[in-house]
Amino acid sequence: MAFSIPRLREQLAAAPLASPYPHELAVAVICDVFRAANQRPPRREAFVQFERHRGHALWREQVSMLAHVLASTSLREETVKALDTTRTPMARLEQFFQEIEPLTAEMVRANAFRQEEFLRVWIRAMGGALENETPAASKQRLEQLDYRKAMADFRAAEAARKKEADRREQLLQEAARREAEARGWRE
Amino acid sequence: MSPVSVLAPDLGVAPRARIRRDTATQRPHIPWAEAVARELSALASLADEAQARARVEARLDGLRLALHASPFHARRLRDAGMHPGDLRGLDDLRHFPVLERATLAAHWDAIPTLPTASSECVVVRSSGTTGAPVNVVRDRRDCLLMWAVLRFLLARAGARLPRRPRVVLLDALPGGLEYSVRLPILEDGALHRVSVLRADAAERLHRVRPAVVFSDPEGLRWWTARPELPRPALMLTSAQHLPTALRDTLTRDLGVPVLNYYATTETGPLAWECLRTPGHFHVFAPDVWLEPDSDDVVVTRLRPSVLPLLRYRPGDRGTVRRDACACGFRGWTLTGFGGRGACRFLAPTGRAVDAWAVAWVFKHHALRAFRLTQDAPEGFLLELAGASEPEAHALTERLVAALRNLGWASPRVAVRHEDAAAWSAPAKPQPFRCLVTPQGH
Ligand SMILES: [Zn+2]
Repeated sequence: MAFSIPRLREQLAAAPLASPYPHELAVAVICDVFRAANQRPPRREAFVQFERHRGHALWREQVSMLAHVLASTSLREETVKALDTTRTPMARLEQFFQEIEPLTAEMVRANAFRQEEFLRVWIRAMGGALENETPAASKQRLEQLDYRKAMADFRAAEAARKKEADRREQLLQEAARREAEARGWRE
Repeated sequence: MSPVSVLAPDLGVAPRARIRRDTATQRPHIPWAEAVARELSALASLADEAQARARVEARLDGLRLALHASPFHARRLRDAGMHPGDLRGLDDLRHFPVLERATLAAHWDAIPTLPTASSECVVVRSSGTTGAPVNVVRDRRDCLLMWAVLRFLLARAGARLPRRPRVVLLDALPGGLEYSVRLPILEDGALHRVSVLRADAAERLHRVRPAVVFSDPEGLRWWTARPELPRPALMLTSAQHLPTALRDTLTRDLGVPVLNYYATTETGPLAWECLRTPGHFHVFAPDVWLEPDSDDVVVTRLRPSVLPLLRYRPGDRGTVRRDACACGFRGWTLTGFGGRGACRFLAPTGRAVDAWAVAWVFKHHALRAFRLTQDAPEGFLLELAGASEPEAHALTERLVAALRNLGWASPRVAVRHEDAAAWSAPAKPQPFRCLVTPQGH
């Protein structure tokens, strides 16, 4: 059976997160997935190194959130089935954390789009496929959801607006001078 | 009903209105207006819901770009961990934040996208029945949209326009503003604003012989009292509650179809009341999307506009459902519209009168809040917040006049000024109350 986003989201909704997983426990939960797939999980030291060189402000809460999702849904079981030996576990994890970099745990918990993105990025990094969906459709959906790209777009739009700010201010002032009564139309 | 207007002729001052005289510039927009009407027609006869939804969803591309270009929306989505690209289908909307009227009022200048042609935008002040006024930025097509929608409504009502049709805005408001302009966008017609407060109003209407008349219930009532006036092909009004008796008089006795539509200044036209099934408002899809299965009206505007509106809540009550109506309409229909504040006043004759029939009196006063309570057969208490003494005086006079028209012989309106700051406006205001019981009549 392939991964199903609606099913995972349903399971997640039914398993409220009482308190964040402690970091050591969260790392253990993640490693356990690879162990269950008969793969040697990354060593504890690999996580320490990752945090030192690639870690960022949100990384620990992301690790904790991932552990919660793995432990409370069928994501763990499906991942075990999907994993093959074409890539190392650490390479897969690095890809995952890189792609979800701007996602906070709160977004994953409460925001439908970021939750879907989080799940899809995991499934892709683990080499899984989605139920009733072609690989091309899965790829396109992830492109639509991509929050890293969206943040870049926001920044670009913001910069463009800053450049236009004066003109904008002036245009709105002109429009306000043409202020008109709402009732009826003036043309 | 008295055939003599009870409205005092010297109320208030003329409302400010900038009238565009360069009406020739409407011409380039004619193909657009025709396309708007065509698309409304196409969707109103499309029986297949999936196909209809696909047509509506095709408009989301434009909305996504507009959300990106709106400083307010971009910031708001980013703060919520979202982005415009998340909006792919109508079902996605429910995950997005709702835009309340008060938020629109506070951020009116940050919500618009950057206007492209400076001369084409105006700022319009919207004063709803309740709540503080809102500044609304409109582009040229926002201003012209009703002429596009009118083409569609004329077809729905089976009304035919003569060549060079004359349209009248019949106005019962104080000030008596009048003007005449060309209307190239509607079959090379002309637009006349006529005030019922002027002594020569009937004479002007005889001369103009309008094909289309827009008015409020008070203006329509004035018309019914003058059966000798020419018969237009269609009359339109935009009243939350169009009294049934008034509609019947016009439709049955004068043979003029009356089309009641629901519009707000912020959103433009949203729905029109079915000519066969009163109380059923058919939604103007695909220009607007009203979210189904909600108790409140939640609007996403899908027609391109300088003011992108995502999940806007105008503060009206109603529930939208997919509908196959007896009138032939296929689409989404709003029912239970405005029902939350339902109230009936008791006229001295014992007749129950829909309290909302006087709502239009309040519509044109920038009141922070008000409540009108009937506490005796001829007695009313008007509680006002944020109104000046002259405003309260003018309002009371107009209210008394409206109540007389509705069957009260000598209505008394007592005014009580409330502290605007202390007035705890509920989210769903109940502006009308009746404490008089039918017993004893
Ligand atoms: Zn109908």
